Amino acid sequence: MAKTIIDAHNVSKTFNPKTIPVHAVQDVHVHIEEGEFVALVGPSGSGKSTLLNMMGGLDEPTEGTVFIDGVEITKLSENKLIDFRLHNIGFVFQSFNLIPVLTAKENVGFVLQLQNMPKTEREKRVLALLEEVGLKDKINSRPGELSGGQQQRVAVARALASKPKIILADEPTANLDSKSAANLLDIMAKLNKEEKITFLFSTHDQRVIRKARRVITLVDGKIESDVEQTPS
Amino acid sequence: MLLKLAWLNIWRNKRRTIITATSVFFAVLLAIVFRSLTDGVYDNMIHNVVSYSSGYLQIHKKGYWDEQSIDNTFEEDDKLHQELLKNPEVTHIMPRLQTFALASWADKTKGVLVLGIDPIKEREVNNLHEKIVDGEYIESVNDNAVVLGEGLASQLKLKVNDTLVLLGQGYHASSAAAKFRVKGLIKLGALELNNNVVYMPIQQSQYMHGAENRLTSVSVMLDKATNLKKLKHSLQGSIASEAYEVMSWKEMMPEMDQFIEADSTGHYIIIGILYFIISFGLFGTLLMMVFERKHELGILIAIGMKKRLLAFVLLLESIMISLLGCFTGIIGGMLVVKWFTVYPIHLTGDLKEVYEDYGIESIIYFSSHEKIFITQTLIVLILSTLLAFYPGYKVMKLKPVEAINS
Repeated sequence: MAKTIIDAHNVSKTFNPKTIPVHAVQDVHVHIEEGEFVALVGPSGSGKSTLLNMMGGLDEPTEGTVFIDGVEITKLSENKLIDFRLHNIGFVFQSFNLIPVLTAKENVGFVLQLQNMPKTEREKRVLALLEEVGLKDKINSRPGELSGGQQQRVAVARALASKPKIILADEPTANLDSKSAANLLDIMAKLNKEEKITFLFSTHDQRVIRKARRVITLVDGKIESDVEQTPS
Repeated sequence: MLLKLAWLNIWRNKRRTIITATSVFFAVLLAIVFRSLTDGVYDNMIHNVVSYSSGYLQIHKKGYWDEQSIDNTFEEDDKLHQELLKNPEVTHIMPRLQTFALASWADKTKGVLVLGIDPIKEREVNNLHEKIVDGEYIESVNDNAVVLGEGLASQLKLKVNDTLVLLGQGYHASSAAAKFRVKGLIKLGALELNNNVVYMPIQQSQYMHGAENRLTSVSVMLDKATNLKKLKHSLQGSIASEAYEVMSWKEMMPEMDQFIEADSTGHYIIIGILYFIISFGLFGTLLMMVFERKHELGILIAIGMKKRLLAFVLLLESIMISLLGCFTGIIGGMLVVKWFTVYPIHLTGDLKEVYEDYGIESIIYFSSHEKIFITQTLIVLILSTLLAFYPGYKVMKLKPVEAINS
């Protein structure tokens, strides 16, 4: 039996509770096992990003608890939570979000440096990661010198750098052309298959949805459906 | 990596960084030149005044300063002279016998300050001979002649070659009376000295007062005014403290020290205002750097960078921009100060006369003391650290999701 990696219980999030309350997520239960490739879908405003942020410890639920790999992250102090994210969760954001003044190699190595990894070991890992995402020849390029697809691949390499248990991706293909999006999805699917990294995407991109083995649909902050499928 | 990141970050907006660093550059440059000028003027003023009067330091018999009587003199001692001269900071020592007497010429009488001096040593230190406006300077310790302040001569209606009678109290209540030829008249900047002083060779003074080989003080001149405190402390330890007292010019002329203190306070306020204005520019830049990178800061927190590290990067950025301006300002300041050290400003016209009337050299020297440069660097460093606190506080308060969505 696969190990539970994400366990969200009765999670709710209400914005502006004292003025005009907006119930972005309402009493959601999500249980994701290690090595799953899950798409979180739904229309804009359905609460996908809010749920993803709470699962990644970027936002606190108004109610409920979130366990990642058995750790109740909703109880962690701010510093411990940052540390937990550094070692356990990789993030890929919609608009690439690399540090513009650093090269691809430095962007990927930054996370490892935060983990105090020795230089030789770090450089070896960074080169391996950039090779894995097909950017071996771009290691010294700054984000401004890379295409959107290449930047997003660097972002994936950065997310993978710390060997996280899960990668949370918020609309990772939203700003990519078809070719770049397909390429990125192939890389992620390969990593999921070969390294058993759990992927959770919030998306409304059909290309991503088709690749997922499980699709959770959110409507008005509630889970409308949670189905498994064969990826195409 | 954090240093590199901070350095690269400040160049993300080159124009803004250059403008901010340039404002720091001008503040530092102005502050250095201003402090160097004022310190140079003070040093010159102190040197001029102490060389005519007290010296930077004076050695007296213990208790002399509280009761300035000829009975509180001490015997001239070669060992003391050697002890003083072995300090590398000491350039000259001037033995003196200072008393008060009644001076008389024809039907005029006036209380005067009688300074028994070594005319050769004094001329080496204060160019006293160059202040002679009529007649000649006394040539040797045995010369049976006196030099009078021009003001005093005028009050007594005395001329060169007239005979001055002095009547005072000698050593151990003996009477001191003698007459001397007026060899020259001297114009001194300090009005009080000019109207009251009689210079005579020290041996003549000792003989007149029945105080042979006795001195009221040994004045000590230094290579640098800044060595005053250190030397005073060292002398207090090296010469017999039960027999002698060591006093600095600040203790003997507190009014001049207070004047310099008060004047300096005004200058500190001006420099303070200058830095205050610059602080706003630097603060604005730092705030902009936080606000325009809010989204990026949120991402960094999300991927695992601790907020205090981010605040530290901002602090580094603040220090880097400031030090960039500071170091270039110091280099500029050094060049300006060096120029004016080699080519000091020679005053002309009325200002020159005013300075010379006060017995101060009419040349504006600039001080190149390292303290001036170190102080400016420290001020800028402290300022940039303090200014980084608020942006740092803003970073500590950042919520990652809000920052990412901004």
